Amino acid sequence: MESDLVPPGLTYLADNITSRQNILGVTKEQGARWAQGLDLPVRAETIFFAGCGYQYSAQLERLMSLVRGIDKSVIGAELPMRFARFQKKLGLNLPGIYSNVLSRGILPGKEEPEVKPLTAAVAVLRKLGLEPGYLAEEEPCCGAPLNHAGLQTRFAENARAAYARLKEAGVKRVIGIVPYCTHALAKLFPRYVDGYDLEVRHFLEVVAEQVTSLKLRFPRKAKVTYHDPCQLVRYLDLVEEPRRILRAIAGIELVEPEWTRGEWATCCGGGGGFETVFPELSGVLAANRAAELLETGAEIIVTHCPGCVMQLKDGLRQLKADGVEVLDLTEVVAQAMGK
Amino acid sequence: MKKQSDFKSYKKEIMGAAHDDRLRLALTRAIKSFRANVKDALERFPHTVEMAEEVRQIKEKAIPDMEALTKQAVAAIEENRGRGYIARTAEEALEIIADICGTGKLIVKGKTMTGEEIGLREYLEEKGNEVYETDLGEFIIQKMGSRPMHILSPAIHVPREDVARLFSKVIGQGITEESDIAAMVGAAREFLRDKFFRADIGISGANVVAAETGTLFIIENEGNIRLATGAPPVHIALVGMEKLVPTLSDAYKVSEVTWRYANYTVPSYVSLISGPSKTGDIEKVTTYGAHGPGQFHVVFLDGGRTRLAKYPRLLQALYCLRCGACLYECPVFAVTAGHFGDKYFAGIGAVWAAIVNEDLEKAASIAYTCLTCGRCRQRCPMKIDVPEMIIELRKLLAEGG
Repeated sequence: MESDLVPPGLTYLADNITSRQNILGVTKEQGARWAQGLDLPVRAETIFFAGCGYQYSAQLERLMSLVRGIDKSVIGAELPMRFARFQKKLGLNLPGIYSNVLSRGILPGKEEPEVKPLTAAVAVLRKLGLEPGYLAEEEPCCGAPLNHAGLQTRFAENARAAYARLKEAGVKRVIGIVPYCTHALAKLFPRYVDGYDLEVRHFLEVVAEQVTSLKLRFPRKAKVTYHDPCQLVRYLDLVEEPRRILRAIAGIELVEPEWTRGEWATCCGGGGGFETVFPELSGVLAANRAAELLETGAEIIVTHCPGCVMQLKDGLRQLKADGVEVLDLTEVVAQAMGK
Repeated sequence: MKKQSDFKSYKKEIMGAAHDDRLRLALTRAIKSFRANVKDALERFPHTVEMAEEVRQIKEKAIPDMEALTKQAVAAIEENRGRGYIARTAEEALEIIADICGTGKLIVKGKTMTGEEIGLREYLEEKGNEVYETDLGEFIIQKMGSRPMHILSPAIHVPREDVARLFSKVIGQGITEESDIAAMVGAAREFLRDKFFRADIGISGANVVAAETGTLFIIENEGNIRLATGAPPVHIALVGMEKLVPTLSDAYKVSEVTWRYANYTVPSYVSLISGPSKTGDIEKVTTYGAHGPGQFHVVFLDGGRTRLAKYPRLLQALYCLRCGACLYECPVFAVTAGHFGDKYFAGIGAVWAAIVNEDLEKAASIAYTCLTCGRCRQRCPMKIDVPEMIIELRKLLAEGG
C-alpha cells in the first residue's frame, strides 16, 4: 500500500505515467507530432527513444508556470509542498486543475520550436549514417519518476511492461536522449526485468565516437560553456563525450567554470519532479547555476537535458541576462552541420 | 511515532533561509574557501584518497560489529580505570550524564554533534548547571539562541558582521560592530579563559574510538578541547557507537582521512585520551587525578544506530566520518544551510530522521528536498551513495516496510 507521504507533485506525474504512459497525462499523439514528415521507420532493431522531456517540453513549461502560480497564490501558498493528506483535507483536486490547463491544447507555433532538439538529433544521427526507428505513439514511458518518487513497485511493473513492448516491436538496441530515460533504461531496468537484454547507449556516446567524421563549423564565432546534467555526468559517466563534441566544432570556444564543471557541475535545481514539489526553491537553484555559468563570460550555455534547458532559461530570465541563450547540444551540432 | 513535523513550517523555514541574504553571504564565503582548502590539502597529501578507501573497508567491517566493539571498548576503558557506559536511548544517555554531573555545577563543553543529537546542553541546564560551549562556533550559536547549521562549522550561516554585533552585546570586551575577526576571537578567549579552570566538569565527543585500548581520538584546531578535557577534575565523553573501530592504527587512519576531507592539511591538535590522569611518581603508588581529570567517563550511545545497521542499503549512513565535505557540495545546503536537515543535515539527515529518530514526516520532508544530484557522493571520502539511500528511503516512506 502506498502511504500519503509522497508529495502530490510527484504522485501527479506518477499517476500520469500509469494511466497515459507519459508524465503529463496528455495523448501520445501530441508527443509524437514532432516526427511527422521525418519518415522514421516504426520497426527497426535500433530505435531512437525520444522520452517525455523533449516531446512534451511545451506542456511541461505550462505545467511549471501553473505550479509556480499556485505556489505563490494565497490559497495554495503551501500546496505543492504539502503532502497528500493536507491536500485531501482541503478538498483540493490538484491533478484535476493541472489536467484542465494542459488539455486546453498548445498554441500553434508555440509547440514547434520546443522539439527542435529531437529533430536536430535525428538529423545528426542520419548524417552519421544511422537510420534508427522511432516507435512514436507506441513508445513506452520509462517510468523514471516512479522510481524517483519511491514508488518502486509501480516502477518495476512499468519497466516489465515497457520491456515487453520494446521486445514485441523487435527492438534490440536503444539510442536514448533524455538523461533520465536513458539512465532508467540502461541502469534501472536490469534490476527489475529478468533477462533484460537491450543494448542502451546515449546519443552523446554515439556521436562522440564518430564526431571527427563530421565537418562541423558553427555559423558564427561563439564563446560557449557547457552545463553537465546530473544524470549524464554522475549517473552515466559521460564527462568527456560532450566536450569532445563541442571541441570538434570550428568557431566554438569552450569556456568552463573553474570549479563547477564535469563531475563537479552544480545541479540546475530541476529534474525528477523536484520542481513540482519546491517550485520556488527550484527557481533559486536555477538562478544560482545560471550565475555560475555566466561567470565564464560565455554567450551560449549549452546543455543536454530538457529539464536543464528549462531551468537554465528560467535562471537567465531571473538574472535578466538577455544577451545569453541556452541551447541543447543537439541543436548546436545540427547548426554546425549547416542545417 | 514521536513528534509530528509540520510541512508548512518546514517549507517556510527553508524558503526563509533561501531568501536570507546574510546566510547566503556567509555560505558563499565558506564554500569558496573550503573548496580551495580541500584541493590544497589533497594535493599536498595525495595518499589520502587511497587511505580513504582503506577507511571505507574498516568501516564496512566495524559497523556490523558495533555491539562487540563497544563492549570491548568499555572493558578497555574500565581497565584503564575509567568508566564506560552503553546507553540504548538518548534518554538513557542524558540520565547517565546528568547523574554524574548532579546540579549546580560549572560545565565546559567541547563541540559534540552527538550532544546536539540528544539535547545534552539544554538538559544539563534544566538540571541546574551552568554550561558553556567552548568551541567558538558553538559559543556563537549558544549566545544567539540558534542551532548549529553545519556539523563542523556550526555558525557557518553567520557572517562576521553579525558576530561582532552579537559579541558587542553579550560579552563586551571592547568589541564593537567594526571589530575585526581577530579581535572577536580574542574576546571569546578572554571571556572563556577562567571558565575552563573553574569548571567542575568538561564534556567532549570523539571523532573515532579504538576499541582495543578504549582510546578516544579528538580532532580540533582551537585548543578548547585540550582545555575542556584537561583542566576540570572530571571528563565525560559522549560517543555514538558508529565511531568505534578495532585498533589504534585504524583509528589513526580514520582521523587523518576525516581532517583532510574536512579541509585541513593537518589539524593543530589531536587528543588521544584513554583513561583518567594518573601519577606513580611518589613511591610508585598510582594515584589518579594528577594534572588532568581524576575521573574519566565514556558514554557510548546506541540511540537507533544498531537499528539503522540492519538496513542493507541505508547502513552506509553510519560510515559517515562527519567531515562535513558533502554539505559544501549540496546545492540546496548552499542556500538553506542546516535548515535542510534535522539533527544531521542534507541527505544523510533524512536517513537519521527516519530510522534513528523515527520521525517519518520529518524524514519525508528532508528526503524529498534532496535533488539526488549526487555531487555529495562525488566528494565523500567514504563514497556514501546518498542518492541511492534517498531513493531507498523514499521507497520505505512511500510503500511502507
